[in-house]
Amino acid sequence: MITRRLALATPFALYATQACGAAAPPICMVMNSAGANISVIDMTTRQIIATEPALREPSHWALTPDRQTLYICDASGNAVFAFDPRTGAPKGRHRIADPYQLGYSPDQNYLVVNALRLNHVDVYDATTLSLVKRFHAGRMPSHLDFSPDSRWCFSSQQQSNTLFSFDMASMTPRWTVPVGHTPAGVLWLNGKLIVCIMGENGIAEIDPLDGHITRRQQTGPGAHNVFLDEKNRILYISNRGPGDTSLTALDPVTLEIRRRYAIPGGPDDIAIAPDGKIWIALRFAEQVAILDPVTGDYDTIDVGRSPHGIYLSTCLTQKGQVTAERLR
Amino acid sequence: MTTFSLDRIFSILAGFMDQYAVLPVLYHFHWMEWDDLAFNWCLVCVYGLFAVIATYAICWPLEHWRPIEHWPDQKAVLTDVFYTLLNRVGIIPVITFLLFYQVQTFCSGWLVDRGFIPPTLDTVVPFLFGHPFVTFWVYALILDFADYWRHRLSHSFRAWYALHALHHAQRQMSFWSDDRNHFFDDVISFLWFFTIGLLIGIPPLQFPLLILLLRFIESLSHANIRLNFGPLEWLIVSPRFHRLHHALRAAGRNSCNYAGVFSLWDVIFRTADFSPVYLPTGDARAPEALATGSYLQQQICGAKMFVKALFAPRKKKATV
Repeated sequence: MITRRLALATPFALYATQACGAAAPPICMVMNSAGANISVIDMTTRQIIATEPALREPSHWALTPDRQTLYICDASGNAVFAFDPRTGAPKGRHRIADPYQLGYSPDQNYLVVNALRLNHVDVYDATTLSLVKRFHAGRMPSHLDFSPDSRWCFSSQQQSNTLFSFDMASMTPRWTVPVGHTPAGVLWLNGKLIVCIMGENGIAEIDPLDGHITRRQQTGPGAHNVFLDEKNRILYISNRGPGDTSLTALDPVTLEIRRRYAIPGGPDDIAIAPDGKIWIALRFAEQVAILDPVTGDYDTIDVGRSPHGIYLSTCLTQKGQVTAERLR
Repeated sequence: MTTFSLDRIFSILAGFMDQYAVLPVLYHFHWMEWDDLAFNWCLVCVYGLFAVIATYAICWPLEHWRPIEHWPDQKAVLTDVFYTLLNRVGIIPVITFLLFYQVQTFCSGWLVDRGFIPPTLDTVVPFLFGHPFVTFWVYALILDFADYWRHRLSHSFRAWYALHALHHAQRQMSFWSDDRNHFFDDVISFLWFFTIGLLIGIPPLQFPLLILLLRFIESLSHANIRLNFGPLEWLIVSPRFHRLHHALRAAGRNSCNYAGVFSLWDVIFRTADFSPVYLPTGDARAPEALATGSYLQQQICGAKMFVKALFAPRKKKATV
């Protein structure tokens, strides 16, 4: 824990290689929330090549629209850390109040930040990072997503058990609706919203026009976050409730369960590599699991305490807007 | 591949406790929004439990090897064991954690709404960021410095000492005695450290082993052991050094050796006493219930003394 860099020579060599223009090896960055640091893993060798310090509690990430900077939130540190998204080299930090989860609007004009502890949803100018609007929408804003045309933003309010939507053009609230006990992950999918409801052990499909629930599907205890694979063929739900933790694969159209992977250790965020392997942060096990979705087998890599968000630099080779939950 | 360091074992135990003991309760009562923090609560409890076990494993043989005093029965020590378990493993650390979190969140939110983002020590002093080991020791020094003054002030005000007397009343002082405090005295400590926490930022939780080391030094300093640290005693509090603070003659307002971990504060502020003696401990003026009563009797007695001291008329100093 105390050792900041596990292998001093390697990361410097790695950053130097990048500076000289040579291709950097693909990396995975894991945000260790209770360890106040970020593990940088060489995806090829699966070795930790650096451990970057944060202030208090790194959680989620967002890639800037120009793909030149990876922002990692540090909620109780009141900071957003900037990294080179190819090498993991630190590039400084910005003072932002309580950033827990964040995302760029698809039109790239705004950066929306959920301040979970302080109970606000903040809208920042994407270029200057100056505060444009603050919504006191509920208690414990958790995850967020946008409509593809950037008209609307949606934010789950964990403690209020609601989903909140606001209009991005007028910066005014649209609606707030109850969706079930402790909503978390939010994803725009096929003209609807998928919201993970931790206390309901599944997901709810919601009409973005008025917020009414159109369908529900049980996925597992503590359904927490939702991800779409890059070809929009599989919807993954991480379930990290008490006892039985898992990853559920669903059909994104019918929401029927295709497969359930028992993954002990509390799967939280996931990221999908080009080879189809799913990299999963395991909150209770201090590990990252690398799951082969075909065979169901997985390997693990030890990381820091309470791994939360997970980023793969391989997403940089993909077209479209990259977010933590999907390729848009 | 899984590796097993001590720190890692703690985290695995905390994860197990979280997943199979705490989360089921949170989910049952629909308190899932706290599940992110639940792991931290479990870590606090696991570290606390380990601290108790490690302290016992090290101090118990030492107390039997080189005891200062032999006691015919150790009933009074049993009460201290209860205090320790309650304070380090039980519900109090979780309540403290929750309370601190809620109040700190409220204050931070209030400041942020007025355009001010509260700093932390490692943002104000840029050198500290990226040097977690140094940062930890800076935090430790600041907090111990604050604790020195909290402790010294608790001996300076009559009503406050009426609460603190519970800690000093123990005549059978052992390594269990560190957590023996009145509830209101603990509340004052909480508020004290809360204020410091707001000023310098909440210290990171990523140094559990070092935090345990500091807590161990505090427990060891109360142990019934004939032990000093030689020249190192000028830096770190030893059992002999702290025993002088608990000595019968030092109870009340004219005490010495107030430091909890780093004795250098007593050296700097001229309150250090390095006399090479092991004196009997206790507070001769304290009621018997405060020394040998049950947990509840001690708490009630302490509260009564506090109220009495609070409303007692000030004594006029005699003029010569």
